[in-house]
Amino acid sequence: MNALKNPRIIGTFALVVLIAAAPLFFAHENYAMRVITVGMCAAIAVYGLNIILGFTGQLSLAQGGFFGIGAYGVGLLTTDYDWSFWSAFAVSVIGTAVIGYLCGLIALRTKDEYFAIFTMAIGFIIFLVISRWESVTHAHSGVNNVKFPEGGGLVDFGSPVAMFYLVFVILLICVYITYAVRRSSVGRTLLTIRTSEDLADAIGVRVGFSKQLAFAASAVFGGIGGGLYATVVGFIGPDSASLDKTFEFLMFILVGGMGTVAGPLLGSMIVTFLFELFQDFQAYRFIVLGPIIVALVIFAPRGIIGYLGGFVDKRNRRRRVAAARRSAEAAESANRGGPSGHDDAADSHVTRSGGPAAPEEKK
Amino acid sequence: MTLFIQQLFNGLALGGVYCLAAIGLTLVFGVLRIPNLAHGSLYMLGAYITYFFLTTIGVPYIAAIGMAAIILFVLGVGLERLVFHPLRNSPHTHHMIAAVGAMFFFQALAQAIWGADFRRMDTPITGELRVLGAEISAQRIVIIITAVIVLALLAWFIKRSIHGQTIEAIEQDRIGASLVGINPSMVSMLTLGLSALLATIAAGLVAPINLLSPTMGDALNLKVFAIIILGGLGSLPGAILGGFVLAIAETMTATYVSSAFGDTVAFIVLVAVLAIKPNGLFTKAVQR
Amino acid sequence: MHSVSRNRSRRLLAAAVVGAFALSLSACGGGGSGEGDTVVIGYTGPLSGGGAAYGENVQIGLEMAIDDLNSDGVEVDGKPVTLELKALDDKYAPATAASNAQRLADQDKAPVVVSPNAGAIKAIQQINSGRSNFLISAYTSDPAIVQSDNPLTMMIPPNFESYADEFTETAMEHGGKKLTLLGTQSEYGQQWTESITESWSAAGGEIGKDNSIDYATVSDFAGPVSKALAEKPDAIFVGGPSQPTALIMEEARKQGFKGSFLVMDQAKLDEMATVTKLDNLKNSVGVLPVAEYEDPGTEDFLKKFADKAGDKKVATSETALNYQGIAIIAKAMEVSGSTDDPEKIREAITDALPEVDDRYKVNGFPEEITDEGHLVNPNLEATFLDDDGKYTKIPIEQVSDNK
Repeated sequence: MNALKNPRIIGTFALVVLIAAAPLFFAHENYAMRVITVGMCAAIAVYGLNIILGFTGQLSLAQGGFFGIGAYGVGLLTTDYDWSFWSAFAVSVIGTAVIGYLCGLIALRTKDEYFAIFTMAIGFIIFLVISRWESVTHAHSGVNNVKFPEGGGLVDFGSPVAMFYLVFVILLICVYITYAVRRSSVGRTLLTIRTSEDLADAIGVRVGFSKQLAFAASAVFGGIGGGLYATVVGFIGPDSASLDKTFEFLMFILVGGMGTVAGPLLGSMIVTFLFELFQDFQAYRFIVLGPIIVALVIFAPRGIIGYLGGFVDKRNRRRRVAAARRSAEAAESANRGGPSGHDDAADSHVTRSGGPAAPEEKK
Repeated sequence: MTLFIQQLFNGLALGGVYCLAAIGLTLVFGVLRIPNLAHGSLYMLGAYITYFFLTTIGVPYIAAIGMAAIILFVLGVGLERLVFHPLRNSPHTHHMIAAVGAMFFFQALAQAIWGADFRRMDTPITGELRVLGAEISAQRIVIIITAVIVLALLAWFIKRSIHGQTIEAIEQDRIGASLVGINPSMVSMLTLGLSALLATIAAGLVAPINLLSPTMGDALNLKVFAIIILGGLGSLPGAILGGFVLAIAETMTATYVSSAFGDTVAFIVLVAVLAIKPNGLFTKAVQR
Repeated sequence: MHSVSRNRSRRLLAAAVVGAFALSLSACGGGGSGEGDTVVIGYTGPLSGGGAAYGENVQIGLEMAIDDLNSDGVEVDGKPVTLELKALDDKYAPATAASNAQRLADQDKAPVVVSPNAGAIKAIQQINSGRSNFLISAYTSDPAIVQSDNPLTMMIPPNFESYADEFTETAMEHGGKKLTLLGTQSEYGQQWTESITESWSAAGGEIGKDNSIDYATVSDFAGPVSKALAEKPDAIFVGGPSQPTALIMEEARKQGFKGSFLVMDQAKLDEMATVTKLDNLKNSVGVLPVAEYEDPGTEDFLKKFADKAGDKKVATSETALNYQGIAIIAKAMEVSGSTDDPEKIREAITDALPEVDDRYKVNGFPEEITDEGHLVNPNLEATFLDDDGKYTKIPIEQVSDNK
């Protein structure tokens, strides 16, 4: 298979290059750098959501809570306990993994709507604990002066550009992991679960264990995003663990495209910028944004990537038909079998499984 | 002891509030499987429109609630047509985000029309009752009684009337129902309209004991979801029990354990119950 | 399912989305069009969501000040300057507030950004003196924001800790020695609760359990009030936004409470009287309503406020103090001769204070600014609302901001 000819890989690559080049244009625009960097932190958490929702088909609404745990882990450890950023970051991510795994143990006993609401309750309890447990989390006073990552004398992460590239590199790793998982047997296992748990069970997939892993992995991504967010923003309050965050993430993934590799990144960027753009309307901006959100969900249900993927598929189909016709003609004239034009077909699974038809069928 | 009785009554009144607010959601979530996160904002709009008729136009209290309920019914039908109908074949995620979009819109709209300030709705129902040394206001008694009556009427409507039975038929078997000539679209519209209407009745009764603001539905929204999940989706008795159990648990925890964790209890109870019974307390054998 | 019209509408939608994205990118990269004679005053506050009413009150004060200043004429370095308000919504989220502030400073070249919330101010303090430079006009009475040694912060209201001792004394005198705590559970409410607890114990009073509740999420106040009253208190500490606070006091009176109330400064007694009968509010100590001030500009200010916001709305210190705040900043620009150097503007505040026109003195005008950036009015007063519905002024001695 020739990766260079695959429009999806080219597209993802172009998006990544575009973002990588952002500091060239915005290096002196602290505001733009900040919006993009914060957007990338969110995108990392959205990649987590992508694993549990996009691949495995389980609607987890605890992602904002895990994001908050990551953020507060880094925030509290670097300030109250004066740890270095890196050790605090590592411990927070491990902590999120453990909490995520434990939550998954109970949460995954439930299914469908129950799972969604159950995880929403978990997310909300995390938020309540953070906003009420004053002696540890400082409740509503928040955590101030979160440390920058230590550059070891090589890099000064106090500079927005350095911070941007730190988050960017970690984001790239997440994109790559998503891509690798997507193509691996683990990924196919998860997709099978999304299509039908019973089927997966029947063909010998360890459904419970796989879901458990996916849930923990999604929590880890949430924790990574949250930890970076804390250091980028410098001050965190309980709102960084709120349910609004979860719904923001959901919006990002829906707009970008569930179950795709580039979707979470694209969705995060576009929605973040839309929100900023509509700031000029102040209090009335949601009169405009609300209907836009509804329209996006109705008219582009597979997200932007899914939507663009539709064109690619159509083109591939057209090519295949043309190739088939050509080969048929050739066969007719030469009276022998033609070459196959199907080499693009193997990649089209991205869209097909990212579509609304496959996951979570309505009962 | 007086405190206990007082708090029991307060808990019952709060349970009435939760039940009234939860009924509409149970219908939509339980029957159509749409997690309508905009339910709280429908409740909020119901309150504001009742307020509009009551204060701005000067219609009597009950009539104001009635007129607002009719308007909200139409709005609910509109919401189904414009938002949920086009999404009927999509997964829940899409419904949720669309509902969040609708919620943003409704809140911004209410703020644009009525402003962000708190408002107070007056009620003609005044006075209070003394029972065993505990005091409870007449408005709260009306809330408890209305909650029970509305739930009974709803149960009757679903079991006995033609329109109601179509709802239950759809709930039990979508394809079978359409085979015998029931139009699922009509039923969806009816259900959402009905849920908005019920939310308005709840809002009209509950708003006078608190304040009106564009975000008044937010606090109730989550708890109401906890209640109907706790009771078991689509189960009316479950919603009633869930509402009262959570309300009393909340009041008692706040009284005897810690005020700070009063409103956390609803979610801890939910998590505990689902950990033991993953399908809620009263699960009906819902055909998939 | 894929009809032609559906496809077309999808294409339109895609075009719209791409267009919006491009627009937003250009909006971000564009930068402000710096007209020489217009200076943007930035404002980030909660304009939607639960805190919207609060954010709007602040915004009204800013708008009124800017209108008045522009019609009076502001002259910096010999050139006339027009002030312009640019307001952005942060929904009370600190991170959003900081992004907004950054945007106002970068794109609109705002030398001053107003923020009315302690959390948001702390987040903004991470970015306002360093790569970006702008002055924060901070409307919060939490002294933590001046303890952080941020050189470009101007704190407007008095330190809330100043009130605790006088409140305690007055409430004990009119109620008794036993206090119950029923404040709101916000950041600010918790700090108040702590401060009152300290003063009350120091004065030899007795305090029950902490009954604080989140005013924004409780559906029915009857339960929490019953619980608080079960402690048989002589005085109750309440406070959060005015209207819910009024409801709690009404409920307490209904359930037979006869003692006194200590009302946190977030709630304003005259504003509370718009949602409940004045009878329910009597025998309480709180901050002095704007209408009770006798400053030279107060009367005119109230008239202008009524014209702008309507008769039904009560002018509160959120509006009045921010009105004063902008007047001080404008004067500081004139004195320093600079509209774009926040350090110079900050330095000039000391000299600017006595220069401010009397008409801008409406709500206890400050006489000095501390080195840490706190505006201080030495004649701070609170009030006691007695059984006849009259406000009696109580002088308040201010505490130091240092920890």
